[in-house]
This record gives sequence, C-alpha cells and structure tokens, in this order.
Amino acid sequence: MKPWKYIVAIWMTAVVIGGILIKIPMIPILEQTARNIFFHVPMWMAMFSMFTVSFVYSIRYLNSPDLSFDIKAESAAKVGVVFGFCGLLTGSLWARFTWGTWWTFAEPKMNLAALAVMIYVAYFVLRSAFDDEEKRAKLAAVYNIFAVTTIPFLLYIVPRQLESLHPGAEGNPAFSEITAPELRYILYPAFIGFIALSFWIYDIVHRYQAVQHKADNL
Amino acid sequence: MQEDSLRTVVDTLSQVYSDKWSGVEADQGNSFIHFMYSNDLIFVVLGVTLIIWLVLLFFITKVDKKVTKLEDQLNSSTNHEA
Repeated sequence: MKPWKYIVAIWMTAVVIGGILIKIPMIPILEQTARNIFFHVPMWMAMFSMFTVSFVYSIRYLNSPDLSFDIKAESAAKVGVVFGFCGLLTGSLWARFTWGTWWTFAEPKMNLAALAVMIYVAYFVLRSAFDDEEKRAKLAAVYNIFAVTTIPFLLYIVPRQLESLHPGAEGNPAFSEITAPELRYILYPAFIGFIALSFWIYDIVHRYQAVQHKADNL
Repeated sequence: MQEDSLRTVVDTLSQVYSDKWSGVEADQGNSFIHFMYSNDLIFVVLGVTLIIWLVLLFFITKVDKKVTKLEDQLNSSTNHEA
C-alpha cells in the first residue's frame, strides 16, 4: 500500500474526531446538526472530483483508444455515483429534522442533485447495452462528456438563480458570511480528506477492474 | 382485564431491572465511564462514528492489499507464459 494512503487514513480520523468535538455556535433549528456540513458537503466535493477524473479519462480514450482509459473512466464514475448517493441520503436525513421533510419537490438543489446522479446512472445503463468492448468504450466516453457538462449547471448555476432553503441560493455562495467562520477549520480539511478517500477507493476499483479484464482475456 | 395484565408485565420488568438502570445516573463507574457521560454524551457519538470509520478503513486496506496480491499473481503468471 502506497504511503499517501496511510496519510489519508490518519487525516480522515482527525477530521471525524474534530468534526464531532469542535465547539460550534448553537443556532435554533440547526443545533448540533450544523456539524453535518463537515460530512454532507464533502460528499459532493468527492463526487465532483470523481466525475472530473472520469471526464479526463473519457477524453483520453477518444484521443487514443486504449481500454485501460475506459476502465479508469468507468471506475471513477462508479465511485462518484456512490458519493452522490451518500450526499443525497445524508441531505435527505438532514432535511427531515431541519426543514421537516425527507424530500420536497419545491427545493431545487435537492432535485437537481438527484437528477445529476441519475444522469450518471444512465451512463451505466448505456454501458450495459453493448457487448462489443470498443463500441461501448467509445459511446460511453462521448456520453460522459455530455454528462459532465450538466453538473455545474445542475448544482451551481441553476440553484443559485432560484429561491431555496438550501444555502447557496438566490445569488449567495453556499458558505457565506452568516455561516460561523470556525466551521471552516474542519470543513476544508474534510474536503481534502474525503476527496483523497475517493481517490483511494477509485484506485482500488480501477485496479480491480483492470485485473479482472486481464484475467478474462487470458 | 387485558390492560391489567399488560401493566403487570410492564411493572414486573421495571421492578426486576430497576436497580440495574441506576448506572444511567452516572453516580458509579470508573473515570472512563464518567468521561463518556460528560458533554451531553457527545463522546458516545464519537465512539460510534470512530468504530464505523475504523472498521471501514480496515476493510478498505484489506481489499487494497488483496488487489495488489492479485496484480502480482497475474503479472507473474503472464510473464511465465511469455
């Protein structure tokens, strides 16, 4: 195991301890759930990083059709979707106890985030439709390039134009001056930690996929 | 009648176990137990979260090492054939 993975393990342990023990200001309704910011928001950051990795390998595949690029693009998209589901589930639970509902169709960021994840689920549906490896890799790469372009619109641009309970609406950044500044001491390390963790999981998944591909073609 | 018997069952349970719940009042136990009771039980949450994280970490590490082993096996077997 490479040394950076040990650093991620220790870093993430520190983030978990810090996130639960740090003293945070008590805000009515939010109360202790303000700590969720340390765990819910990094899910999306990890998802974005994985979709970016997937996008880069899709372009590289179209540039030079090497199946190892396709394996990397698929693995990164997989890990990204897993983090996306974690983000949706944690958001839904948090919403139940602060907004009073598990899910609401009046909330743009919630629904557009779900749509973003669905677009990537469709990527796997598309992949499963082909038996021919090269055809599948090429079409999946083209689809992936279209899929990634929707992400900034669905999760940043459109939600900011609309009215919403979710932070980051009506032209405001998600982490604004009304958010307690001390939350940043854990939030930013949590971003780094979870993104690094997503790279670790991606590393395992794509190596496994590569080994399996090799074993299938022996 | 039914209500009565139900209450009897509940009473029996609470009476039988009542002296065993006294630990909840944090008047006994060692310093570790006292520490865990402090600060609105937040350390219990920390404990639960850390158990989950460390178990997952152990699992990820194991899988990582297994994949490395598979890679080595596959590479050596393909080298033998060549």
